[in-house]
Amino acid sequence: MTTITQPTTHPSQRARATTLTFGGVLRSEWIKLRSLRSTTWSYVIVIAISLGMAFIMSLSMASGMNGGGDAGRAPADQQAQLVLQASVFGVYFGQLVAGVLGVLVISGEYTTGMIRSTLTAVPKRLPALAAKGVVLFAATFVVGLVANLLAFVVSSVVFADTGVSASLAEPAVFLPLLGGALYLALVAVFALGVGTMLRSSAGGIAAVLGLLLLLPTVIAMIPAEWAADLIPYLLPSAGMNMFTSTTAGPSGDALGVWLNLFIVLGWVAASVVGAAVLLKRRDA
Amino acid sequence: MSPEPPVRSVAGMITAEGLVKRYGAKTAVNDISFTVRPGQVTGFLGPNGAGKSTTMRMIVGLDRPTEGRVSVNGRPYAEHRAPLHEVGALLDAKAVHTGRSAYNHLLAMAATHGIGASRVREVIELTGLESVARKRVGGFSLGMGQRLGIAAAMLGDPATLILDEPVNGLDPEGVLWVRQFVRHLASEGRTIFLSSHLMSEMALTADHLIVLGRGEIIADAPVADIIAGGTRTRVLVKSPQASQLADLLAAPEVAVIRSEAGTLEVTGLAAAGIGDLAATHGLAIHELTPLSASLEEAYMALTADAVEYRTEAVR
Repeated sequence: MTTITQPTTHPSQRARATTLTFGGVLRSEWIKLRSLRSTTWSYVIVIAISLGMAFIMSLSMASGMNGGGDAGRAPADQQAQLVLQASVFGVYFGQLVAGVLGVLVISGEYTTGMIRSTLTAVPKRLPALAAKGVVLFAATFVVGLVANLLAFVVSSVVFADTGVSASLAEPAVFLPLLGGALYLALVAVFALGVGTMLRSSAGGIAAVLGLLLLLPTVIAMIPAEWAADLIPYLLPSAGMNMFTSTTAGPSGDALGVWLNLFIVLGWVAASVVGAAVLLKRRDA
Repeated sequence: MSPEPPVRSVAGMITAEGLVKRYGAKTAVNDISFTVRPGQVTGFLGPNGAGKSTTMRMIVGLDRPTEGRVSVNGRPYAEHRAPLHEVGALLDAKAVHTGRSAYNHLLAMAATHGIGASRVREVIELTGLESVARKRVGGFSLGMGQRLGIAAAMLGDPATLILDEPVNGLDPEGVLWVRQFVRHLASEGRTIFLSSHLMSEMALTADHLIVLGRGEIIADAPVADIIAGGTRTRVLVKSPQASQLADLLAAPEVAVIRSEAGTLEVTGLAAAGIGDLAATHGLAIHELTPLSASLEEAYMALTADAVEYRTEAVR
């Protein structure tokens, strides 16, 4: 507090020089994210799933090699592929947790009434959604990266007996690990958009899990060529191919890393734009 | 929309012009205009469903008006550079995530405006929440929720406070605290806009009243004027010839209640008229007392035709 207050000064003009800034809204959303148990649990589960799946997958792959003398003499890029496959296996399950967390970050505000406090502090509304997206993206990316790196360590240790190894210094190794984390972060932001549009935890989670789990299965069951053609463009298909693809550009049946990334970004953009329009338009 | 004259920029003034809010076919607020001035407590009174909360939500931009506009300090709430420093709002005591502690809730709200942790501790102290600040809000009683809502409203040390039913759920000590608190804030020159359905509370707290019924303003006047003008006078009459007097008083616009032997409660005729009538007929009068109307009665009289959900009178 300053001491230059004059007796006639109105309370609001007294040492209240701070203003609403996007940096402030970012900090606010970070405080909100880290002060809820659901966040901690979600991230712990992402890491646990990642480690567990890497362990099980690498163990089963290594035991299939029968001592693995041959695998150990395979070319380095094939060895790297084996370790990687085991390391990022958990992302398929981790995306479900990231999706649930993304929905809860906003639906939890709607179900408790917190959204009215949030939008009173940030009455222009869109900065609040943007800040939520940025904070959720960054936190999920970091957690996903830690999970994938730990999973890589676990897989490497399990594979060590078979003589199979991969070096983290290779772009072909660390880029997929980064890509898996990027996908988890993008799924969380996609789910944030869905949660904002539906304003309900149950509805939002059902919609996101439906899109990630159910839709690919249902479409795969449709006996038509267009259905088969559609599958690579679904969010989870493009998302998993985004970091498991061995080619950067389209080749043969594979769409390649970049095209898959753009498909995922398209899903995220559609969700976030829909959320922004509805958030701005609706009464809170 | 036709150009409106510019709104005078007085610190903390709330100005509503032709506010309308419709939800589908239902009109919650129907073309209301009012001004809430600094330095006094303005009570916002009305039966349930009258549109009080809707109006308050429109002031801070949570609900978009169907027509009309409302400004705080000369601008729409959302256009201010630091909204929390302009207006503190308690619109719903439970507008808090139940899984977060009170301290973290306030810290997150404060962070948007760069308000520091020291101010968060100040408002926790101010509202007496020290002992529960680190506990999760889900376990709070309604009263503690109200205190937390007031703490959040005070974060920006705002010139204007909008409080929707702030004493709802508070114990008598809490009610007294809120009353003294808002009186103190008004004495500092702030604008206090307070809704309540407790008329007796308003009589003790508010200086000015805006009474809403079925989405329309029924009265907008100082509390004293509403008490004086809002009800028909009641007169207490004591006479040894009470029954004779009661017969003489009988008229379509006069109601006489015989409360006990020798005592009448007369509505619809002033004390002077009753005295003159008794004198003309040679009846003795032992007491003739005009009863001052309470705000509650004034309010009931004002809103009698505007009650949305009427209950049948008990008895």
